[in-house]
Amino acid sequence: MALKGLDIFKLTPKTNCKECGSPTCMAFSMKVAQGAMELSKCPHMSEEAIATLSEATAPPMKSIKVGAGEAECTLGGETVLARHEKTFVSKSRFAVRLTPDMDVAAAVAEANKVDYDRIGERMHAEMVYVEYTGDAAAYAEAVKKVTGSGKVIILACKDVEAAKAALEVCKAEKPILNGADASNYAEMVEVAKAAGVVLGVTGADINELYDTTAAIEKLGYKELVLDTTGANIKDTFAMTVQVRRACLDKNPDRTCGYPSIVNLSAVAPDDEAMQIALASMFILKYGSIIVMDTMNYARALPLYGLRQNVYTDPQKPMKVEPGIYPLNGADENSVVLTTVDFALTYFVVSGELERSGVPCNLVISDAGGLSVLTAWAAGKLSSTSVSKFIIENVEPKVKSRKLIIPGKVAVLKGDIEAKLPGWEVIVAPNEAVQLVKFLKDMQASGQI
Amino acid sequence: MTLFDRVFGGNDAVYGLTEAAIDKAIAEHGADQAVSFPGTAYSLPCYYSVTGTKVTNLGELKEALGVVKTLMTREKRLNDAFMSGVATALCAEFIEALKYLNGAEPYSEPLYGHLPDAIIRELGVPLVTGDIPGVAVVLGSAPSKEEAVELVKSYQAQGILVTLVGGVIDQCTEAGLNMGYSVRIVPLGKDVTSVIHVVSVALRAALIFGNVTPGDAGNLMKYTFERVPAFVNAFKPLDDVIVACGAGAIALGFPVVTNETENIFRVPKSLIVQEDVSKFNATSLEARDIKIKITKIDIPVSFASAFEGEIIRKGDMQVEFDGSRKDCFELVCTKELTEIEDHKFELIGPDFDTMEVGSKQQIAYIVNVAGKNMQTDFEPVFERKFHSYINCIEGVMHTGQRDMIRIRVSKASYEAGFRAKDLAEVLYANIKNEFDAVVDKCAVTIITDADECTKLRHEMAIPAYDRRDERLVSLTDESVPVYYSCIMCQAFSPSHVCVVTPERLGLCGAVSWLDAKATNELDPEGPCQVITKERVIDENLGRYEDVDEAVQKFSRGALEHVTLYSIMEDPMTSCGCFECICGIEPCSNGVVITNREYAGQTPLGMTFSELASMTGGGVQTPGFMGHGKHFIASKKFMKAEGGIERIVWMPKDLKDTVAERLNKTAQELYGIENFTDMVGDETITTEPEKLLEFLTEKGHPALGLEPMM
Amino acid sequence: MPFNGKSGKFNASINTVEVGCGEKAIKIGGENVLPFYTFDAPIENSPKVGVMISDLGLGNEPAGVKAYYEGCTTMADIAKKAAAMPGADFVCLKLEGADPNGENKSTEDCIAVVKEVVDAIDVPLVIAGCKNVTKDSELLTKAAEAAQGKNVIILAAKEENYKGIGAAAGLAYNQKVGAESAVDINLAKQLNVLISQLGVAPSSVVMHVGTAAVGYGFEYVVSTMDRVKAAALGQNDTQLQMPIITPVADEAWNVKESMASEEDMPEWGPVEARGIGMEVSTAASVLASGSNAVILKHPTSVATISKMIKELM
Repeated sequence: MALKGLDIFKLTPKTNCKECGSPTCMAFSMKVAQGAMELSKCPHMSEEAIATLSEATAPPMKSIKVGAGEAECTLGGETVLARHEKTFVSKSRFAVRLTPDMDVAAAVAEANKVDYDRIGERMHAEMVYVEYTGDAAAYAEAVKKVTGSGKVIILACKDVEAAKAALEVCKAEKPILNGADASNYAEMVEVAKAAGVVLGVTGADINELYDTTAAIEKLGYKELVLDTTGANIKDTFAMTVQVRRACLDKNPDRTCGYPSIVNLSAVAPDDEAMQIALASMFILKYGSIIVMDTMNYARALPLYGLRQNVYTDPQKPMKVEPGIYPLNGADENSVVLTTVDFALTYFVVSGELERSGVPCNLVISDAGGLSVLTAWAAGKLSSTSVSKFIIENVEPKVKSRKLIIPGKVAVLKGDIEAKLPGWEVIVAPNEAVQLVKFLKDMQASGQI
Repeated sequence: MTLFDRVFGGNDAVYGLTEAAIDKAIAEHGADQAVSFPGTAYSLPCYYSVTGTKVTNLGELKEALGVVKTLMTREKRLNDAFMSGVATALCAEFIEALKYLNGAEPYSEPLYGHLPDAIIRELGVPLVTGDIPGVAVVLGSAPSKEEAVELVKSYQAQGILVTLVGGVIDQCTEAGLNMGYSVRIVPLGKDVTSVIHVVSVALRAALIFGNVTPGDAGNLMKYTFERVPAFVNAFKPLDDVIVACGAGAIALGFPVVTNETENIFRVPKSLIVQEDVSKFNATSLEARDIKIKITKIDIPVSFASAFEGEIIRKGDMQVEFDGSRKDCFELVCTKELTEIEDHKFELIGPDFDTMEVGSKQQIAYIVNVAGKNMQTDFEPVFERKFHSYINCIEGVMHTGQRDMIRIRVSKASYEAGFRAKDLAEVLYANIKNEFDAVVDKCAVTIITDADECTKLRHEMAIPAYDRRDERLVSLTDESVPVYYSCIMCQAFSPSHVCVVTPERLGLCGAVSWLDAKATNELDPEGPCQVITKERVIDENLGRYEDVDEAVQKFSRGALEHVTLYSIMEDPMTSCGCFECICGIEPCSNGVVITNREYAGQTPLGMTFSELASMTGGGVQTPGFMGHGKHFIASKKFMKAEGGIERIVWMPKDLKDTVAERLNKTAQELYGIENFTDMVGDETITTEPEKLLEFLTEKGHPALGLEPMM
Repeated sequence: MPFNGKSGKFNASINTVEVGCGEKAIKIGGENVLPFYTFDAPIENSPKVGVMISDLGLGNEPAGVKAYYEGCTTMADIAKKAAAMPGADFVCLKLEGADPNGENKSTEDCIAVVKEVVDAIDVPLVIAGCKNVTKDSELLTKAAEAAQGKNVIILAAKEENYKGIGAAAGLAYNQKVGAESAVDINLAKQLNVLISQLGVAPSSVVMHVGTAAVGYGFEYVVSTMDRVKAAALGQNDTQLQMPIITPVADEAWNVKESMASEEDMPEWGPVEARGIGMEVSTAASVLASGSNAVILKHPTSVATISKMIKELM
């Protein structure tokens, strides 16, 4: 059970010294309770207080950092099993599977064709998963080819010597050594420790995985990820879910409290549609790293869209950038429609507008990322906000003087007209789906 | 003669006829002769549904008559009369069944006689949806054929299915009325026994749509009473047989309205004498509690939410009603059902035609409502909707409320024919539609006469507003029997539940206890549910077993306990729409409040949005709580920790907004004058240490209170 | 010390609803664990996969769908072929031609199609309307009548028209009622309460709690389904224990990712592969979130998803 801010506050020095960077001890305590700040930022906590608090504030699932420089990313650190309970924090990462016998450079280049921006988030395969096939030299050679590619490297290698050699090539990039199992874990821990990299643990089944992890923890190494890939799809799903569930239980089993790797290339080889289906499921159900054959748009478009949705904090809806979005080949004479910057509203409205085929300029003003009625109720969508944005940003660029406003805020019509001299304000239907007919009718009657 | 004598007499007469008819049929065709109605899987549907027994031949019919006889007890009790009524109906079914012997087709155009199952399945759907709001059974001959046609047409216009029995059929035929199932006028037959064919429809509906087991007479009658909105209009003269049939109808829950005055016995809600045939429709609808939906508002201009934001400029204005210059008001008044004639409109004073173009005038509209479930507490809830109703009229603009309204009517709408009665029609139709759960009758009076407006404003409207305000003030958490939950925000804050009490409105500031109450009454399955407050655990904290149970239920287990009056112990959760957040300020032992509009820093070291991210989302955060602005001056504001004297800091604008009420509360609770002068704001400081200095200087009471932690 | 995981089996369970008749009838629901959590307790009825066909025929379909139905000239042909699609458990006939803003086909014309399809196939059938609430209330009422004796799902009754459709499907003609709400647990529950107040038995109701394509506000879909299942199983909320059916094809194939041509978006590659990607991704996601049946249209999607279900059971 996480501590409440007040419990933490009671143990602070209550001096408001600001050395932690927060203006008050209360603010500091609240941030620690939220997990937004570490207890150690306060230099004045007593030993006793720290001991009391660190046990209680330690997250049940570790946050593990992998990769270096720009490629660095955080895995795990989740606190809930369902996003509505609070939020998911560390999004699933995608790895492309490579073997030394492939043209590694070409495969990476192929996957790299997918690299785009979706609502402010870069979408690409962040990792490569290099499988050892028995030839240590060839393996190190292949690993060498992917260094410097800006991707986190996962070394899928259970051979201790081969792993050492590969790490020599790439350890500066903070790869993951996915190679510990029941037979080699002691040596692998040494290798990982020596190279300062995160160690991946595998097991024939969940019990072996668990025992091996527990044994590694006893050796004092806790920079781990758990490879929950099983013999088949069913076992993989079962292991991935059970491990996550155990660590986020009310009585957390911290031995399960690590991020996961699921290798779809192993359980659904050469089946693109199946890999997409399974990847979708593991985005929802607890896959931290998802390994696939490659990355292309058929995979990326659904999977990254899904991931972006699911890893949105329910308290902080996705926002799109304010601006003018010309649709269907719109030009400066095309009619203007306006709505809010809540990403879902934008997607739904722009989708319907595209479907109508009518050229139009969709104007998005800053409404705090809220939906139309919520924004209106909160005063973030008002005749002032709309007219100000139109005058400052739209009038200089667009000649049309017809503005269509959302039907749900028909009440703003008169006020907007008053504040936008020269504009004709038209009220749209209440629901986005009705826009297609509405625009087509306007077009047919020559209104636009 | 008593009513019992008439029912029993009529029943005996029909029984005798039935017995003779069955005996005659057996003599002619033999006991094995099959008996059935065409197109039904329910044998003789009435007998089957009441007894669970299927009759297949004349021999069994004779046995069935024996069963009917057992219903015909002769104690002078209401139940005996009803059962004899049912027995009469069953006899009628037997007589009608005999007409169909040997595949005979006893009924021909325009008469329908027995209606097949397929029609019932088809009828059942619009009956359930209310598209057919009722079923009228018109029996006998009206005083004139004009009155007959007028009555039938009035039902038809309301979408009510009309079945005709007896002389009224000839009257309608003579008058050239177009009849038939497709126009919802169904002539059944000319013998009184043919009335059974509509009863058969009602009972089969119970079997098909109500899943009632045949033979389960109790649930059968319950279903017809609750779900089949049928009623009977019986024209005089009523003989004993009709009276007996009527008893059967009443047993099924169908009231009988008649113009017979001789030898009749009024039974409230069941047997109603209405001498004026032109009022049969209204009387019947009221007796059967049928509400007609208004699908289109009959006014000469459009009515749609798209017009809500329309502004009528001076130049476009035909006339303006201005409450700031003239005596104007809008008022909802609750009346008794008998005091109101539904849909009546009255205009006192001139219509818009005689008003000078562009002039300022006075107007008052009084919307009288009545209903079995109406409560005066709903009046302001309805009244608040007037603004949106009137604004949705094309070319009409409304602002303000109560006696400070302003309405403009555009020239275009005036020219399209918009007049006072249309304004009344809009109010009538919307009130009836939106509040049909509580409004049975509604009538609108519009006053444009200057003297009347002045007089009524001072004698009627202002006292009514004053009464309501007093009621609001007198509503305390202790004085009401229940609280309400509100889960409107669960869409984005899944585990959040507001407990709305009179002194603690929803934290969004938009849902008061009265609003929640009205929402609950109007939409019993909706977001506001009753929370009882019978099992108190700790009065000071506002902890109740009932409240905890409700919160557990509505948060689906995410929350277990809440207190109503504490921010330290199990405080109420916050969704995300709170107007304000308060949080404890440890240096001064008090609380700091900040509001959504204030973006700056607070002495807590956190801004509104930082606080919001910690307290929102339906989680309990001791020491912090979201709330409405109005709550700040409440005597229940963190009462468990000492109340409003804990408030040490607020943004200036917020402080100014609540000052008057807050100071009044402080005066009443602690005898402190001008309390807000002791409360800090951002113009004084946002540093906790400086705030403490300020509070010390002012002698703020929080400094002397027990520590909160 | 081996892994000691707690079982996530619940005391409550989802209702079992039977659809169709005869040998090919299917059962959906009945589980007392979260989706595919067979390690907690066996799941008796695996989620089912339906194939969507439209009364407008194949004109608007992607090439792979057209190719599958090659040679089909009548709706009966199309329906038979859909029923025979590898992996398909049922067929969904969508009467989109009825839409007043589209073809605006008459109810009679649509009912003729319903009859043709009903007579052509022996697998369970779902009849979906055109989404116009006014038209659907008439159309689906008649469809319930036309399919008498076939135990079909009528999709869907919404808050605006549940009375007519609910009464026709759930009471008058003994079909199953699909109750559709807009991605909100409270609305879903409210509609179930209202339908039960009509007298429709809970075992005759399936829910369509609303959906979207992945990437399009899909987090609301996930959270709504997660919460519905949590309430149904964890809180024993009987008004949310109806199984969930989710039509995926319409949403997945109607977004830019599945519609933009390769000419317009050359870097995106072939349009059909993208459409399949959107369809299987959305289907797998709603299944993982708790749908007991999905409705798809592309043969590759149907094969993939049914294989995935089999693998997981």
